[in-house]
Amino acid sequence: MFKSAASVERLANQLARLPGIGRKSASRLTFHILKMSKDEANDIAEAIKEVKEKVGFCTTCYNISESDPCFVCSDNRRNQEIICVVEDSSDAAAMDRAEGFNGMFHVLGGCLSPLDGIGPDDLKIKELMTRLKDDIKEVIIATNPDVEGEATAVYLSKLIKPMSIKVTRIARGLPVGSDLEYADSATLSRALEGRQEF
Amino acid sequence: MFASAFFIYTMHLDSLKLTSFRNFETLQLTPSAGINVLHGKNGSGKSNLLEAIFVLCLGRSQRGNKDGDIIKNEQDSYRVEGTMHDGDRSIEIAVAVMRRGRKQITINGVKSKALELYERFSVVAAGPEDSEILAGPPSVRRLFLNLYISQQSTKYLENITKYSRILSQKNAALKENIEFDSYNYLLAETGAKIIIARQLFLKTLNKSAGSFYSKFSNNGELDIKYKPSALEEIEFEVDESRIKEQFEARLNEVKEQEMILKTSIVGPHRDEIEFDINSFPARTHGSQGEWRSAAIALKLSVYELLKEKRGFSPILLLDEIFAELDESRSAAVIDSFNDLGQLFLTTALEPPARLAQKALYLNIDSGQVEVVR
Repeated sequence: MFKSAASVERLANQLARLPGIGRKSASRLTFHILKMSKDEANDIAEAIKEVKEKVGFCTTCYNISESDPCFVCSDNRRNQEIICVVEDSSDAAAMDRAEGFNGMFHVLGGCLSPLDGIGPDDLKIKELMTRLKDDIKEVIIATNPDVEGEATAVYLSKLIKPMSIKVTRIARGLPVGSDLEYADSATLSRALEGRQEF
Repeated sequence: MFASAFFIYTMHLDSLKLTSFRNFETLQLTPSAGINVLHGKNGSGKSNLLEAIFVLCLGRSQRGNKDGDIIKNEQDSYRVEGTMHDGDRSIEIAVAVMRRGRKQITINGVKSKALELYERFSVVAAGPEDSEILAGPPSVRRLFLNLYISQQSTKYLENITKYSRILSQKNAALKENIEFDSYNYLLAETGAKIIIARQLFLKTLNKSAGSFYSKFSNNGELDIKYKPSALEEIEFEVDESRIKEQFEARLNEVKEQEMILKTSIVGPHRDEIEFDINSFPARTHGSQGEWRSAAIALKLSVYELLKEKRGFSPILLLDEIFAELDESRSAAVIDSFNDLGQLFLTTALEPPARLAQKALYLNIDSGQVEVVR
């Protein structure tokens, strides 16, 4: 078998550690990088270094951020009285793209999963409770609709309700722009349960 | 006459191929769309062949075995492939399981969930191990409920899957001393749906199994009672929100006990069914013969129920059910299966005469199958 240079192999091995990248893709990417100009390749390397140096966590909402507080937490045009609770930063980004939400975020850093040894103390739940002491009117729980996300949502609602703050859960159902016939039966029956009167 | 030509539509197995499945190294079979009689000595693998057909239809064994146990000794995986004929189309199915427990199901070459098999196909298996439903541990009775209610409603299958996921999270929380109230809430929510489905299923089953049993046993009486572990008493009228409330209240009552035992002690995973034969508990007072007749009555009722619900005849797998019946009784049992679709029947003895005429005869010997006539 063809034995590649140690540095080539090292890059391929590092790339293969990324999610969704297998052995083959990693080696294709490696050879692509080898073909790039030195400047182009440096840009990638610099970008990776920069992101790790500059990005940290906002100590208010625990979203990833270059500043502390982050741009959402320091934006006073946003509705400070509504907090949307999500599992991960990527979920916060998705919610932020949605029109119709202009409140604050709180990133838990995962969801409850005792099977993986993750309990309430491993998530930013205490931090959320501290934030709720300020004038918060509503908490929207936007954890994933799987068992772990549901359990996290129930756990949070049990904590927050006694504080007389409105707790809501995002609806589940059909994705917009999709065809009914391609929806799986679980999604469809959820959509049926959540049907609304005209 | 059975095997009548008037069906809403038919579903049957066209071809079957096994690879390292139990005692079969490889095996290929092209069954008849009607009656198939599998003849062979004890230990020849007749029952294993029926099990393989069940696996192909639903992606799991009816025997409740762990998938890994089915793999032939010294092999790493098993594979069951087949073509199902469904009305006007052919569907290719493959179920493969590795020893480490990874299972892959494909339908027409596309990776699929077991749920899709339940949506498309239906199969009823009856055999000597069914006496366990009457006389064995409660887990056998719950498996019986789960296998056959899931074929009526895939919603039930989804709820069972969800429930067991919540349950394992809760048990892990109990072991790690993590707060578990939120799991109780979810267990009650999903569990209430399971309890209702079981209650309705058993109510229907009680009626029809009772009348079949009386036919097979000179007017004996069979009575089925559902004993949900989450409720003191289940009412005739079922109301989901009330059951959910009662179940959650019960979970709160046993909270401290569960914290000591570090496991969940209340809910559908601890449900029980009580069978009474002539007003006595079948498990303690029943005889072998009564258990077998009651088991056949149960499976017949399930078959009728599924046929009505699904609009087609499920594939029927009968394993040695005539071994202890005389010819007239065997005939009575066979006559009771109306609008028979495809039937697979194993026997070490000569099969009942009225079946033998129309059937495809297959002989099984040391892992090989041979068409006799």
